[in-house]
Amino acid sequence: MSTLGQELITAAVIGVLQGSIYAMVALGIVLVYRATGVFNFAQAEFGTTALFGAYTAHVVWGWGYAVSFGFGLVVGVVMGLLTEALVIHPLRKASRVTLLVGTAGVALTAIGLQFWKYNETLIMVMPRISDGFHQTKYGSPTDQQLITVAVLVAVTIALALFFRSPWGLAIQAAQQEPVAAELVGINVRSVSLLIWGIAALLGGLAGILAGPNTTFSAAFLSFGAGGALLPGFMAAVLAGMRSMSGAVAGGLVVGFVEQLGNLTLLVDVNGARAMMLFVFLLLVLLFKPSGLFVPRAVTA
Amino acid sequence: MTSADDDTLVLPVVPPAALEEAPAEPEWRPAAHDEDDFHPGPVGRVARRVCWVLLAWSVVLVPANLLSPLSLDQTTVTHLTEAVIFAIIGLSLNVLIGYAGQISLGHQAFVGIGAFTTAYLVTEQQLDFFFALLVAAVFGGLQAAILGAVSLRVTGLYFALVTLAYGAFAEQTVFGIESLTRGEAGMTLTRPSFFASEERYYLLCLGFLVLVVWLDWRLTRSTAGRALAALRENPRVASSYGINVKAYMMVAFVVAGVFAGLGGGLFAARQSVIVPTSFGFTLGLTFVLMTVVGGLRNRTGVIIGAAFFALLGSGELVHWLHLDGFFAETIGLPVQFVPLVVGPILLLLTITLHPGGIGQQVAPIQGWLAGRRLDRHAGKVREVEVSDVRA
Repeated sequence: MSTLGQELITAAVIGVLQGSIYAMVALGIVLVYRATGVFNFAQAEFGTTALFGAYTAHVVWGWGYAVSFGFGLVVGVVMGLLTEALVIHPLRKASRVTLLVGTAGVALTAIGLQFWKYNETLIMVMPRISDGFHQTKYGSPTDQQLITVAVLVAVTIALALFFRSPWGLAIQAAQQEPVAAELVGINVRSVSLLIWGIAALLGGLAGILAGPNTTFSAAFLSFGAGGALLPGFMAAVLAGMRSMSGAVAGGLVVGFVEQLGNLTLLVDVNGARAMMLFVFLLLVLLFKPSGLFVPRAVTA
Repeated sequence: MTSADDDTLVLPVVPPAALEEAPAEPEWRPAAHDEDDFHPGPVGRVARRVCWVLLAWSVVLVPANLLSPLSLDQTTVTHLTEAVIFAIIGLSLNVLIGYAGQISLGHQAFVGIGAFTTAYLVTEQQLDFFFALLVAAVFGGLQAAILGAVSLRVTGLYFALVTLAYGAFAEQTVFGIESLTRGEAGMTLTRPSFFASEERYYLLCLGFLVLVVWLDWRLTRSTAGRALAALRENPRVASSYGINVKAYMMVAFVVAGVFAGLGGGLFAARQSVIVPTSFGFTLGLTFVLMTVVGGLRNRTGVIIGAAFFALLGSGELVHWLHLDGFFAETIGLPVQFVPLVVGPILLLLTITLHPGGIGQQVAPIQGWLAGRRLDRHAGKVREVEVSDVRA
């Protein structure tokens, strides 16, 4: 097989592994957007904060891995709920751009606090769940990455089931017709909190699972080494900002497109991966702004 | 113009009966003439003049170490220059967010293009600094026009995403072209010999700020400015009144780009060395922070906000207020992280509690200085919040 062909397959393999992180971030973004119409720039920061929580519990305090993982998730969810209560709810009448600036403010506050509190620790490493890896012809996926893919699959199925349950239906009703939902006894306010909680949980999973892939520092998942904010948004755009399954597919595709920047073809171009993402986003928005992976039912 | 929540125009339907039995109109009263008739007395006039002179002295002469007892050191003057340049950039972003209602998260790229253009022309091509600044402004306008063309198709929140990706693309790809930017090695730029001293360079930047403020003022007073205001509130209504939406949107983008390019050129000559990572995403977010906290569509507010964040970032402000000890020891926050922690909190407080930002807070003083009564309720929020309609 030609070198290019092999490189493309490698890009696809690594793209899917990396893309499953993006997909998780995108799921959170789509969930929040559907519920509240907010472009949540703090989504990736829920993940970084959760990662810092898990790191502190496991490495600094010496707790067990599973307990630390859970603790990290709790930290992320608490941050999500606080965001809803302190920023999103007070601004519910404000314009959507104000809300965007507000979520960016939340992300920046979190980043500032991370810089401040972990200034002394130069290199932070979160240990992996399992250290194994699998040498193949097309890149060598680690156990950690495979676990991430498995978690993504589990989360997607869980969300699909959840949205068919009475609670999930109540959420959908509250999203589509808040006033009518309120009249039939759905507490729209707690639905909003629930949505932000779930979104933060998804962000937290992405953060704690992606953290061990490399060393991390403040703003890790937003625009640090694990930068998943922009790819996550792209995946959400591919899903038309609405479709959950579209967000998963979008995440994997964005992961692949980004890896195309690593082809030997582009070795002389600096920042080829950023270029691929930018061009891809432009093409999608200019030619198919309604999204690529949108089931017909949700476009209406 | 009131806030337009939706695009539908609802004509008022008045039932005929209501017209017939309309209650008597309240007696017409002459509008309060306070503002027009008020002239400060002799004491007031002197007090205002003294304040004006003090203000001019502290902005123009003190930083330049002229007629000043303070004799600031070179580093402090550099930081003050940076504050002036940030003010130019803040006004540039204000045109986009405030006037055009388009949020840009990639403004660091606009500025970076100006900076690298200037550095390349002066260092590699041995061209004149002012010519290079001109080219930087033109380039800034050009790339903004390209991005503006995109924004005509992709509006609101999606456009914010495009600028986010554009910022990363510019930082990593465009500024990574080593033949133009020398990559990580960075570029240095020597200023023309007359402006070599920090004090003179400060005055030069201040002059450019005045120019930008004047241009911005002309823009808001022109047809283009009024058209933009109409557009921001409701593009459909505006276009039905015959306003050329696309053309005026492009005007806003080009003006913002020119200001940013100019600011970038000045920024390059102030920095000792510029590298691609000087124009990272955090810088872009700082620009958004300072503009929103300053108060959108309020020149004074934006300038104060920009200067505030610049001085906070360089640690100068904390130092002046003798808060080093408080931050470093009492709450254990190293001085270099103060802007990172304090800035976003200020932003959140601004948009949740005080949408008018700094501009609203200084409005009473501003009105007083302009020769009106001291009205503590001046500067009510007049549509200061970020507009929704293009989202």
